[in-house]
Amino acid sequence: MSKILLEARGLCVNYGAIQALAGFSLKLFENEIVSVIGANGAGKSTFMNALMGMVKISKGEIFLDSYPLSRHNYKIVRSGLSLVPEGRRVFSSLTVEENLKIGAFTRKDKTEIKNDYEWVFSLFPILQERLKQYAGTLSGGEQQMLAIARALMARPKILLLDEPSLGLAPIVIQGIFKELKRINEQGVSILLVEQNAKQALLLSHRAYVLQTGRLLKEGASKDLLEDSDIKSAYLGHGA
Amino acid sequence: MSFTFSTFVQQIINGLSLGSVYALIAVGYSLVYSILLFSNFAHGGFLVVGGYACYYLLTQWGYSVPFSMLGALLASGLTAVVTERLAYKPIRERTPITLYLLIASMGVNIIIENLFVVTVGGRIRALPRSTFPTGVFNLWEGITISSSDVLSLVTAVIFLSLLQLFLSRTRWGLAIRAAACDIKTAGLMGVNVTFLISLVFFVAGVLAAVGGVFLSVRYSLYPQLGNITTKAFVAAVIGGLGSLPGAVAGSLILGLAEMLTAGFISSQMRDLVVYSLLVIMLLISPAGFFGKKISEKI
Repeated sequence: MSKILLEARGLCVNYGAIQALAGFSLKLFENEIVSVIGANGAGKSTFMNALMGMVKISKGEIFLDSYPLSRHNYKIVRSGLSLVPEGRRVFSSLTVEENLKIGAFTRKDKTEIKNDYEWVFSLFPILQERLKQYAGTLSGGEQQMLAIARALMARPKILLLDEPSLGLAPIVIQGIFKELKRINEQGVSILLVEQNAKQALLLSHRAYVLQTGRLLKEGASKDLLEDSDIKSAYLGHGA
Repeated sequence: MSFTFSTFVQQIINGLSLGSVYALIAVGYSLVYSILLFSNFAHGGFLVVGGYACYYLLTQWGYSVPFSMLGALLASGLTAVVTERLAYKPIRERTPITLYLLIASMGVNIIIENLFVVTVGGRIRALPRSTFPTGVFNLWEGITISSSDVLSLVTAVIFLSLLQLFLSRTRWGLAIRAAACDIKTAGLMGVNVTFLISLVFFVAGVLAAVGGVFLSVRYSLYPQLGNITTKAFVAAVIGGLGSLPGAVAGSLILGLAEMLTAGFISSQMRDLVVYSLLVIMLLISPAGFFGKKISEKI
């Protein structure tokens, strides 16, 4: 872990008079898993949307491979960031296959795309069985797998996930997080935003704690798991 | 008028022919609706631009029919794209409320209509008959079909099939279908949404122009010809706004209903039947036959 892959410096985002992000900075090294944890409304999703060019940044800079990142959504995907949005947002009236196909929209390398189908099927075999089914008919867990697979079809340098555990049963979450670890081991850096702090900290190498748009704490995930403030505020009793 | 089998068959043929022209208009309407969730009332304006472009290319500049048709399609498609860029995009970027787009589209329709009134005048024109085939085929026992009906039916089938192929087989077609489902997430897939919307408007404009030219042939050409899109709008609502098969089905139902009314009751009752159908449909199933389940339908 040497090279900085993604760096956000002093990001500010305003929604009218409300400041959702107030100078948040973050680094992601190559092959790393970084999580951003915090309560509802802490600015986590805003941060993800700012990275993806979905909301306007009023101040601050973002660098990918030490080059400034485009502010145009579709160019950001081409440069190597791919987001699994909050609430999965699979295209429910398209089939599983079409969802994966649109995930590879920016790519022209046909044989490589074919290999990546095999890759995502090896991660989530259930998708291969459901290939011709409409995405809207899948269960919540299967939709989350599809959303992750769809994002991977863009062949991202960084996979961004916004609340992947939201609304899923614990056993399903376990399974999905296990696959995220595998994805990372295969060379994809991961940036994860989670309310489920424990799961996120167990998976990630480092973590940032966000509170009302500002950095509260950052450090190695295993240290944060033992941190008494974090324990009482985010991990809950007996977690 | 008494019920005769030959009148019935004749009116079915006429209805299908009229319905196919409605379908060309309604499908473009529905396509725009499926992406931006508003009824684009400027669609009639696009159709008028197509009609006049074809008229002037034929009569003033003496181009051939195919070339004039092509010119009409391009003129209308580009008008649609420019309209979106100038009138809708600034609104889209400021507010997610689509009601403003609807109002803007009404304004654009009035502007286009009056631009023609001011520049070329309001008088009724006819596309030169000689340039389109005028023969009438006798099918069976007094049942006839005119060559312009055949031409409009065939053209409608060709253009709707091309649209279907484009949407189901191409990369951008898939992107459009994804955007119809969730446009924001389509952007997350690396789709240039601004370009996609322009593309959708271009396609809608082109289809409107085909409809416009055939309406000009069937009836005549005048600046208010675009008002006939109200019928296509009704057809799209009956079929289910935002659904393309719905728009086609609704258009055929409407064309048949109009022509059967004209054949068996009275020509003057056509519109009454059309709007009664609309009201009945909205009462029974507001989402139409194939519509997206969305509460707001205007």
